[in-house]
Amino acid sequence: MRGDGLYSRVIAWLKVVLPLAALALLSTLFLFSSGRDPLENVPFADTLEGGGTILEGVAAPQYSGTTQSGDLLTMTAERARPLQGGDIAADALVAQLRMKDGSAIDLTATLGTLRNGERRIHLDQGVIITNSLGYRLETQALVSDIDRTAAESLAPVQGEGPLGTLEAGKMQILPADADGAVQMLFTGGVKLIYQPPAKDNDP
Amino acid sequence: QGTEVAFGNGMQQDTSAPVEATADALSVNQKDGTALYTGNVVIVQGEMRLAAPRVLVVYSEEQGKIQRMEATGGVILVSGTEAAEAERADYDISNGTVVMTGNVLLTQGPSAVTSERMVVNLETGTANMSGRVKTVLQPADDQKASQ
Repeated sequence: MRGDGLYSRVIAWLKVVLPLAALALLSTLFLFSSGRDPLENVPFADTLEGGGTILEGVAAPQYSGTTQSGDLLTMTAERARPLQGGDIAADALVAQLRMKDGSAIDLTATLGTLRNGERRIHLDQGVIITNSLGYRLETQALVSDIDRTAAESLAPVQGEGPLGTLEAGKMQILPADADGAVQMLFTGGVKLIYQPPAKDNDP
Repeated sequence: QGTEVAFGNGMQQDTSAPVEATADALSVNQKDGTALYTGNVVIVQGEMRLAAPRVLVVYSEEQGKIQRMEATGGVILVSGTEAAEAERADYDISNGTVVMTGNVLLTQGPSAVTSERMVVNLETGTANMSGRVKTVLQPADDQKASQ
């Protein structure tokens, strides 16, 4: 059936040798892989490359509510992320208080943490306090209530105001008292330098 | 009527010099911006120095500057070598006058003058005392002895 000529014998040998060669070639194929790292240009998110896993968080969170005395409090931040123990940390937090009498106080902080269950927010790493009177004060850390207009600086305060440059050991924002005006109380030694306007533009 | 007295040895008081106020506490009313200093308040401007337990600063929003300061509870005003004491003092920065009321006692070196009311004009360095003005002068030889 199969001719015994040279040609048939060669073909028969080839039928055996060629598949074996192919098998050998395939099995050693991975040895010849090129040096290039295949993961190099795969478009990974940069946070992964930094080794940090993507944190669970909320981008541009916003909180608004009214305090007991009817003042409106809105808080916005770049990012809010949960910490252990149920605390919430917010980066670049801006809290705006709009009082019923029309005056306003803004608190801007690099980091704000809302402690679990506490109705207060702790602002630290540099806090800037500005208000509708034209005060602009800076302090290191400040604690502010959420449900009422009350705040207290945890570090000395210094800054500018309509009355001049001001330094104080501590600052408190007290809720509206009887005559309904929010008070800013500076304690712990107050120093203020007021530069009266030059004589010429006096009326 | 009133007696004219030189105050702050009569030299010009620069009323546009910076005013420096130090106190234990300051409370600012958020609505109208008045500021109340409490606790050994000291206000210094150039040669003039005013000390009182309580000073209320009334600030005028429109003109954007301090209208006046009301010091109460026993005020001591020192300018140069003279000192004046009274129960209350109203310091008007823009026109540079201090109105002291309530048994005013002005001491100038050995002599002392008391009255009900005294208006000090800081710019001209004069003080006008009125209301039962009484002057206590020490005879010459005592002055030499006391110097």
